[in-house]
Amino acid sequence: MKLAAVDYVILAVYFAFVIGIGWMLRKKVSTSGDFLLSGRSIPVWITSLAFIAANLGAQELIGMAASGAKYGIMTAHFYWVGAIPAILFMGLFMMPFYYGSKARSVPEYLKMRFDEKTRGFNALTFAVMTVFSSGISMYALGLLLHLVLGWDFNLCVLASAAIVLAYTYLGGLTSAIYNEVLQFFLIVAGFAPLAILACDRAGGWEGIKSRLPANMVHSWHYMGHASENPMGVEIFGMMAGLGFVLSFGYWCTNFLVVQRAMAAENMSAARRTPLIGAIPKMFLPFVVILPGIAAVALAKMTGPGGEHLYDLPMKLSGGANVKDYDQVLTTLMARFYPAGLLGVGLTGLMASFMSGMAGNVTAFNTVFTYDIYQSYIKKDAPDSHYLMVGKMTTIVGVILSIGAAYVARRYNNIMDLLQLVFGFVNAPLFGTFLLGMFWKRTTAHGAFFGLISGTGAAFATWGLTLAEGKGGIFGDIYTFPSTMAQNFWVAIMAFVTCIVVTTVVSMVTTPRTDRDMEGLVYGLTKIRHDEGVVWYKRPATLAVVVLILVILLNIWFA
Amino acid sequence: MLDLRVPSGWFFVILGAIVLVVGLVQPDLRAPLTDVNVNLYSGVSMLVFGGFLLLMARRALKK
Repeated sequence: MKLAAVDYVILAVYFAFVIGIGWMLRKKVSTSGDFLLSGRSIPVWITSLAFIAANLGAQELIGMAASGAKYGIMTAHFYWVGAIPAILFMGLFMMPFYYGSKARSVPEYLKMRFDEKTRGFNALTFAVMTVFSSGISMYALGLLLHLVLGWDFNLCVLASAAIVLAYTYLGGLTSAIYNEVLQFFLIVAGFAPLAILACDRAGGWEGIKSRLPANMVHSWHYMGHASENPMGVEIFGMMAGLGFVLSFGYWCTNFLVVQRAMAAENMSAARRTPLIGAIPKMFLPFVVILPGIAAVALAKMTGPGGEHLYDLPMKLSGGANVKDYDQVLTTLMARFYPAGLLGVGLTGLMASFMSGMAGNVTAFNTVFTYDIYQSYIKKDAPDSHYLMVGKMTTIVGVILSIGAAYVARRYNNIMDLLQLVFGFVNAPLFGTFLLGMFWKRTTAHGAFFGLISGTGAAFATWGLTLAEGKGGIFGDIYTFPSTMAQNFWVAIMAFVTCIVVTTVVSMVTTPRTDRDMEGLVYGLTKIRHDEGVVWYKRPATLAVVVLILVILLNIWFA
Repeated sequence: MLDLRVPSGWFFVILGAIVLVVGLVQPDLRAPLTDVNVNLYSGVSMLVFGGFLLLMARRALKK
C-alpha cells in the first residue's frame, strides 16, 4: 500500500487537532481532581461516546475484522451478548454506588466498601495491566504500519506515544475524553465506507450469505454443539462465560471504562452514560465486523477475466503458509480506498489506537496517584503535590508503555503469559463487586479471600484442561474444542469459586455496621428514582429501549 | 468550557473539503475494487456532518 501526499496531509490535520484540543483545555487544569477526574463536569453525550471509544482501540478494530473473517457473524456475540447487557446493568444498578460513594476510582470504592488489602490488590494488578495493554497495542500498531506501509517501527511507536502524551499531559482526563469523541467520529468516518463498499461489492448481505458456509452467517443457529460452529463453543459456555462473567467483569468493574461515566456532570448523567453509549455500541458490528465477513465472500469471487477480486492475506508460521487474519482490515482498505479516503481510513486506525492508549494512560495515572501513591507512599500532602504526581505519572506511564511495546516485540511469549495472568486476575472480580454491592453481609476478609481463590481457581482450571495445545500444565482432565471455550470456562470456574468462598468466609467473619456502609451497598443507599423527571428521560426507559433493539438484532441475524 | 462541537465540527469540515477536492480534481481516481468516485461522496458526507456540528454549537451559543 502506498500513500499519496493528500493522505499525509489528512494525517497531519488530525495530529494538529488532537494536540490543539489538549492545548485549548490546558487552562482548565488547576487541581489534581481536574487533571485526573475532569472535575466531574462533562456533558453526557461526550462521556457516552468516550465510554465506547476508550474500549475501541486499534487491537479491537483489527481483531474484530479478523474475527469476522474467521468466525463470521458469530463475532457479533462479543457486542450483542458480551457487552450490551453488562453495560445496561452497570448504568442501571452499579453507577449509583460508584458515583454516589464519591470514590475517585474503582479500587477506591473497594477500599470504602471493604478494606485496604482488596484495594491494594486491585490497584496494583490494574496499574500493571493498563501499562502492558497499552504497550501491546502500541506494538501491534507499529508492526502493522511497518508491514503495510513500510514505516519504521521505532518511529511509529515513539511518534504515536509522543502525541498521546502531549494531549493527555496538557488537558488531563478532559482532554483524553474530548479527543476520544473526535476519534470515535473519525473511526466511523474511516471505516463505515469500507463496510458499505465491501458489502456492496460482495452482493449485499444476501450475496455474502450465498457464498459463505451457513454457520458463518447465523449467530445463534449453530450454537447447540461446539463442533457445529466455527468458534467451537456451546451455548451455555458462551452465555455464562462471555455473556455473564467476562463481559460483566469488564464493563462493570474495569476502571478504564467506569472512569468515563464517573466524569459525568451529575448522577443522572453518570447513569445514562453507559446506556446512551450502548446505542452506538450495538451498531458497531456493522462497521468493524462486517468488512471481515465480506472479505471471505470477496475471496471466493472472480472478476470478468477470471482473476481473484481479493485474496485473504497469508503469513509464514512454523514453516507453513497460514491465513493472517490480522491483516484483513488493512488489505481491504488497499483494495477499496483510493488516495484521499485511504488517508481518512488510516487516520481512523491511528485514532482508534490513540483512544485506546489514552484510555489506559488516564486510568493508570489516576489509580497510581490516588490508590498507590496517596495511600502507601505519601498520605497528607497538599493537592498541588498530587497534581504534580499525576502529571509525572502520565509521563512515566507513557514511557513504561513504550518499554512494554519493546518487550512485546522481543519476547512474544512473555506477553501471552501476562495476558493469561491478567485473565486469571480479572475473571473473579465481578463476583466480588456483585456480592459487595448487593449483599450487605459481605465482609472485607470474605471479599479478599474470595478474590484470591477465584484467581487460583482460574489458574487451576486452565492448568488442568487442554485446548488447541494450550493449558494443561498440571494434567489433562478435560479437552475443550477451542481456546475460546476454555477461556469462557476458566472465567465461569473463577466466578463460582469467588462467590462461594466470599459467601462462606463472610458468614464466619464479623460484618460492618449498616451505618458504615451507607451509599456503598444496595438497601442502605437512597437511590433517587428520578422523581420529577419525565418518563422518557429516565435511565430505566432508555435501558428498555436498548434492550429491545439488541434483542431484535439478535433475532435478525440468528 | 470548550464546546467540543466547535473543534470537531471544524475538523470534519476541513477533512471533508480536502477529500471533496480530491474527488473533484481527480474524478477518475479509483481503487482496484471501487467503481464510483468514493472521495466525492465521503467528502460531501463529512462536510455535512462537520457543518451540522458547527450549526448545533452556534444554536447553543445563541440561547
